[in-house]
Amino acid sequence: MSVRINLPPTLHSFTNNQAVVEVNGSTVGECLNELVRQFPRIKPMLFDKKGRLLNYVDIYVNYESAYPEELAKPVKDRDELYITLIIAGG
Amino acid sequence: MLTRDEWERYDRQIMIRGFGPEGQERLKGARVFVAGAGGLGSPVATYLTAAGVGVIRIVDHDSVELSNLNRQVLHWEGDIGKRKVNSATEKLRKLNREVKIEAIEEMITEANVSQLVAGFDLIVDAMDNMPTRYLLNKVAIEKTIPLFHGVVHGFEGRAMTIIPGETACLWCVYRGAIPEEKFPVIGVTPAVIGCIQATEVIKYIVGIGQLLTNKLLVYDGLNMKFTEFRLKKNPNCQHCGEPARSKK
Repeated sequence: MSVRINLPPTLHSFTNNQAVVEVNGSTVGECLNELVRQFPRIKPMLFDKKGRLLNYVDIYVNYESAYPEELAKPVKDRDELYITLIIAGG
Repeated sequence: MLTRDEWERYDRQIMIRGFGPEGQERLKGARVFVAGAGGLGSPVATYLTAAGVGVIRIVDHDSVELSNLNRQVLHWEGDIGKRKVNSATEKLRKLNREVKIEAIEEMITEANVSQLVAGFDLIVDAMDNMPTRYLLNKVAIEKTIPLFHGVVHGFEGRAMTIIPGETACLWCVYRGAIPEEKFPVIGVTPAVIGCIQATEVIKYIVGIGQLLTNKLLVYDGLNMKFTEFRLKKNPNCQHCGEPARSKK
């Protein structure tokens, strides 16, 4: 199943400046693993050493929050997955 | 009752459909708590003062530094070294002497947050760190005070509006602490997000338009894109869900 992952500007440098990456997967976790397979340098920006999503990574599927249990969330063909990073400045 | 001066000063906003003199009266009667007098607090407080909100309480414990001036537009070169709340109050009083500005020079903590927001109708989150934002979120839920959240980083920003008991809160999507850092930012980003927060506040008080509730608005200034994401109340939220209710 083909899913488009939309990345925030901060992560574009890890995907050869691509804002959108096409991946295959049936869950959010599978899609992110495929993203990491294509662009291994992005892994520490998304996951901790135990493979859990970092606290500041926010995932949406078709504009809807995937929280909690994001990695297990099913996706279907042509879904749009958005990664955003939680920020804290004022 | 609006005075003749107020009719003249606010003429252009009173003209807005759905606003009218009643909307202006509501603004005049409103008491808004602004947490932070920095990058976000500057546009929020400026536009709420210009719009004629009755009472604005600004809380901040910092002093003005040269490195603040690229974004914290209520503070100018001559203010370096002054307390931010005093610097902000001077400008806001010059902008609109009819608005009562209360300046409180304190750090917002778990011990004082409840007292600081007591008696206020709305809370604006113009902070620069998540732990204080979560304190504001918790007290907003406990006291049923709407919270207007904003946050910035570089050319990116986010905004959402929280109506306690009705809509998703900040903690509903909380996964855990995030690292504290000296964050990059260009002044136009808090200007955009602060103006969105002030817009939400004005709409809420006047009672017009649609609010950013159960929604997260994400602004990407580099690509000039706004994206709206849908949020849901988390039944297991520690601040507004079942665990919080069962503690009471």
